[in-house]
Amino acid sequence: MLPTIFYIGLSALLFAIGVCGVLMRRSALMVFMSVELMLNSANLALVTFANQWKSLDAQVMVFFVITIAAAEVAVGLALLVMIFMRKQTTNIDSMNTLKG
Amino acid sequence: MTQLAWLLVLIPAFPLAGFLLNAFLLRGERATGVVASLSIVASFVTTLIAVTNLAATPEDARFISAHLWDWLAIGKVNVSVGLWFDPLTAVMTLLITGVGSLIHIYSISYMHGDHRPHRYFAYLNLFVFAMLILVMSDNLFLLFLGWEGVGLCSFLLIGHYFERSSVAPGIVPSEASAKAFVANRIGDAGLLLAMMAIVSNFGTLSFFGADGNSGFISRLTDASFITVNLGVFGSIGLVSGIAMLMILGVAGKSAQLPLYTWLPVAMAGPTPVSALIHAATMVTAGVYLIVRMHVAFDLAPDAAGLVTVIGAVTALIGATAAITQFDIKRVLAYSTISQLGFMVAAAGMGAYTAAIFHLLTHGLFKALLFLGSGAIIHGMHDIQDMRRMGGLRTHMPTVYRVYLIGALALAGIFPLAGFWSKDEILVHAWYSAQNVNITVMLVFASWMTAFYMGRQMALTFAGSTRDHDVHPHENLGTMKWPLYILAVASVLGGIINLPGIHWLTDWLSPVLHHKAELYTWSMGIFATLIVVSAGAIGYLGYRLYSGALLAQIKAGEEDPAHYYLGDIWKGFEMGWGLDYVYQRLLVRPYRTFSHFLSEVFDRQAIDGILVEGSAGLVGKVSQAASRAQNGSVRTYALVFLIGVVIIVGYVVIGA
Repeated sequence: MLPTIFYIGLSALLFAIGVCGVLMRRSALMVFMSVELMLNSANLALVTFANQWKSLDAQVMVFFVITIAAAEVAVGLALLVMIFMRKQTTNIDSMNTLKG
Repeated sequence: MTQLAWLLVLIPAFPLAGFLLNAFLLRGERATGVVASLSIVASFVTTLIAVTNLAATPEDARFISAHLWDWLAIGKVNVSVGLWFDPLTAVMTLLITGVGSLIHIYSISYMHGDHRPHRYFAYLNLFVFAMLILVMSDNLFLLFLGWEGVGLCSFLLIGHYFERSSVAPGIVPSEASAKAFVANRIGDAGLLLAMMAIVSNFGTLSFFGADGNSGFISRLTDASFITVNLGVFGSIGLVSGIAMLMILGVAGKSAQLPLYTWLPVAMAGPTPVSALIHAATMVTAGVYLIVRMHVAFDLAPDAAGLVTVIGAVTALIGATAAITQFDIKRVLAYSTISQLGFMVAAAGMGAYTAAIFHLLTHGLFKALLFLGSGAIIHGMHDIQDMRRMGGLRTHMPTVYRVYLIGALALAGIFPLAGFWSKDEILVHAWYSAQNVNITVMLVFASWMTAFYMGRQMALTFAGSTRDHDVHPHENLGTMKWPLYILAVASVLGGIINLPGIHWLTDWLSPVLHHKAELYTWSMGIFATLIVVSAGAIGYLGYRLYSGALLAQIKAGEEDPAHYYLGDIWKGFEMGWGLDYVYQRLLVRPYRTFSHFLSEVFDRQAIDGILVEGSAGLVGKVSQAASRAQNGSVRTYALVFLIGVVIIVGYVVIGA
């Protein structure tokens, strides 16, 4: 078994990629996938720590995250479809009408 | 309370009931007038009964007191609502209710056709109530309530024609009433301070206490050595200080020197109001106060001296101003100021009986003159300018006769009421006080009194009508009887204190402790000299204005004497220009300051900085804050990330 630090490192790397994706990508779909990536990196960290401490608490949390992520995907993709039907684009920079 | 005490309560209760009925129930012109008059007549009858009862009591305890209830109890100071009826109160009450009922009856006809008769009669009744409280109160606090009450009623009645923008002679009623109120308020401040000084030093405001001997007046003598340190202004005796503060109150209410300017413009009210409030009763409240507080003035020669000087100078100013007026009521108004000056000067010289005597007789003949002038104004269809009158003797014979009696009484012609009372003051000034300057001033004032009454008689009644557009008529109605009664009273009024008979002196001696003075031959000669010279001067005034100068009297033009005296005449006409001084010194700076506040300070500081400034600041700040909400999701995410990094960094590194 590899040392915990490798898993955590991978998790951090995945999270950073996700953050970069959220901040940099223009396509709403890609931003959405980056968010999923960040969620899964967190899942990885949780599983790693569960293994480290031999505790099931964190693994239970992972199930929650997966469930909520699934729900989020369902709602989010529906939103994306609606946005595309209205604007004929998924460019996130064009969705800026909600401002003060 | 004894039966007598209940009788006392009835005296002010009748006018109060009349006021309440007129204010809340009655609206018909006839009903209000009759109810108002009846309430005062009832009060007069009750007063007569009370006076007969008072006369039956032994002289050393001649007072009736009625303690009604405790009003305020603050610490050891206990202010009660109580009435006090002694010989001084008795004569004042008789004058107020007597002249008051005549003027109420007169008003029924005079105010016929008025828009607001119930308002008029309600306030007239309220005035009589307040005046009765003023003279019947057994303590200074209740006196002050009456004092303020008469001031309020005066304000309300001067402003009876408040909707008119101008009444003859060019007075704005609403401004005149405000002026009277403000001038009175300045005086009231003095009285209020005097009351505070009395409370803090004596712990009571009761004049005499329940037994007639435990009030603050009996303790003034013991306090006469106390001095009050005024810092840079030196020090003053406590009693003098109280007396000096009271002088301010007297000057306000009795229209004396620094504060008399409100009385001439108070003529904006209906004429019966001028007769009742601004001639016969309210303005005498100051004289009453001095006489009621005479112990203080006896103990404070400096304050008494000041009172004398104020009175004498006011008598002169009033008389000179009265000579020059063309408005029939203004002559009488300035004449009232002058005669009040006589009373105040007499009170200052210690001749309290003479002051009260003149107060009573003046109340009678000045009420007669005002009611007579009201009848003239009524008959002339609201014309008050004497230049447009003339020849009224043939048109209004009744008014002419009673007015002549009033004028002769005011001029002090033997044997009318004014002769005896004015003579007593002059004789006192010359013989008892031995004050040459004051005597000379008062004699001059009484000569001028004769002159302006002669002038007024000539301008009003002599010759033929100058204005052919008006058709004077004499239609007196209920105005007739008050005029007759007052005329008889003005003739016979002097009897109450004739030399040798001196009923009034004896009657007042339990209060004032004056003994009637022996009337010597030299006094008689002195009085004769004065009356003969006054008569001659009065006749001169009559002859001048009914003969030599008559041709030059034209509506809208200056008096012929203006040609000879020029600006001096003009100055007299303006009441020695005190109004002008106040206008320049107080009114105009105040107006400028208010203008600055309303136009500059309010617009720029209040509106500009505080109201619009704070609103603008909030707007600007929220505009800046709303710029952060640019709608770009990625910006939000970035800010969110930075926030997370900072918080996590703080938790990891800081903790």
